[in-house]
Amino acid sequence: MKLRLFAILAVLFFFAWRTLDGLVEGDWGRLEGGLSNLSVFFRESMWPPNWSVLEARSYPVCEEDIEFFCSVGYLGMMETLKIAFVSTILGFVGAISLSSLAARNLMPMWVAIPVRIFLSAVRSLPSLIWAILFVIVIGFGPLSGVLAMTFYTVGYLGKLQYEVFEGMPNDPLEAGRAMGLSRPSILMNIVIPENGNHLLSQLMFMFEYNVRHGTVIGIVGAGGIGYYISTYLKFLQYDKVFALLILIFIVVVLIDLLSLAVRSFVNEEGDVRKPTWLNMLIQARKQDSESEV
Amino acid sequence: MSNEAILTLNQLVIGYGDPLSEPITLEVKPGEIIAILGPSGIGKTTLIRTIAGLVRPLSGSFDLNLEGRGGLGYIPQRLGLVRHATVAHNVSLGARASIPWSKTMFQERKERTYEAIRTLGIEDKAAEPVRRLSGGQQRRVATARTLAQRPQLMLADEFLGELDQTNVDIVLGAVGKLVEKGTAIVMVEHHEDNAKNFATRIWEIRGKQFHDMTIEEWNEHTSRGEEE
Repeated sequence: MKLRLFAILAVLFFFAWRTLDGLVEGDWGRLEGGLSNLSVFFRESMWPPNWSVLEARSYPVCEEDIEFFCSVGYLGMMETLKIAFVSTILGFVGAISLSSLAARNLMPMWVAIPVRIFLSAVRSLPSLIWAILFVIVIGFGPLSGVLAMTFYTVGYLGKLQYEVFEGMPNDPLEAGRAMGLSRPSILMNIVIPENGNHLLSQLMFMFEYNVRHGTVIGIVGAGGIGYYISTYLKFLQYDKVFALLILIFIVVVLIDLLSLAVRSFVNEEGDVRKPTWLNMLIQARKQDSESEV
Repeated sequence: MSNEAILTLNQLVIGYGDPLSEPITLEVKPGEIIAILGPSGIGKTTLIRTIAGLVRPLSGSFDLNLEGRGGLGYIPQRLGLVRHATVAHNVSLGARASIPWSKTMFQERKERTYEAIRTLGIEDKAAEPVRRLSGGQQRRVATARTLAQRPQLMLADEFLGELDQTNVDIVLGAVGKLVEKGTAIVMVEHHEDNAKNFATRIWEIRGKQFHDMTIEEWNEHTSRGEEE
């Protein structure tokens, strides 16, 4: 079995390699020196990161006691987080309404198929294209960013959600139907509670995704930290860009940890308490003191 | 208690594509307890699912003479519980199915839910997610859900399976209260002893033949079979 899997992977890898070779038309010369170019660019233009992005801007005058709260890094990151938060929540609500209509085990095909097509259409445009469209329609600023990411969230989460709904066991649904529960009642009282862990997990994932993409849509003028990155790129201030990228990385890691903590409260693994180092140390100390007595 | 049939099967043929039975014509009256017996794969579950409205009959029809909302209770083979929700939430689904919108709706649901939980002796588990309970406890939760629903017809698919005698007594005691109020029960049962002790009628499926017998007739039939 393992040998067969290895053979399949080897064949796939070979085809991927051949495809790449076709794409670059056999001209691998462009890669030569690429690494050294990157190294030079990093050493000369990006390193060391310019942490002045965490100091107060010269204009407007900072009225906060702590300068950091007037910095480009803080203001940009907060705007990105706010855009991501609002669009994730709005998108989640929109997605759950549509995904319940798109799941084939909850709705007849004549309802599910058109809703799926609609979700695919919304999802087929990346958030960046949505952002460009909304910047054209309503102008620069965070509202364009919120709308762009809300639309993308609806399309993306909608698909994840209806796939989860379709994968749930059938017997609670059948019991609900036979008992005479209405469709909204089945959704609210059976489908959502049964898939709560998945929905929460997807919600956290989407928030993290929207924070990361919030930086990209800022580049086209839809608000957030991306706007500042775009400005620094235009003025070739790569050291400031690097500092902002580090900041984004730290925030994404923190959100990931938060997501992990939130999910641990609801997943099935939470039923069995895993030993933590702290617990084990406390336990060991207790045993020591008991043996002394 | 009216004596009109709650369930009438009219020349009903069940199955998925191929018929699993010859046409069945039968009536179920309030307070009757019917155990469906027969070997695995013969169509017992299909019959229950057809009456529950989850499978279309191949031909013939069935009539449910139920009043108001939530008149049909159903415990599927795998119980149909919301595993990630609490015991109380699962039991309240029964009350939710049968109590119409009114000013006192929430209070009534709550009362029925806790009454059913108390009857099944799972008060200490009320706030636990169902997934943490043992198989026997989960069966009690499914029974409590039906108890809270107070249906006029209860369909149960092997709901006594895997239960020890203590749990069987608890569950049957609870269901007995429903029967006293006129609920009819149609249940698929694998254990003949449970069927004999609890049911008032037996539907036996052999091949595609369907046999409707009283308990006395069933006893006579089985003792004759043993003698032979």
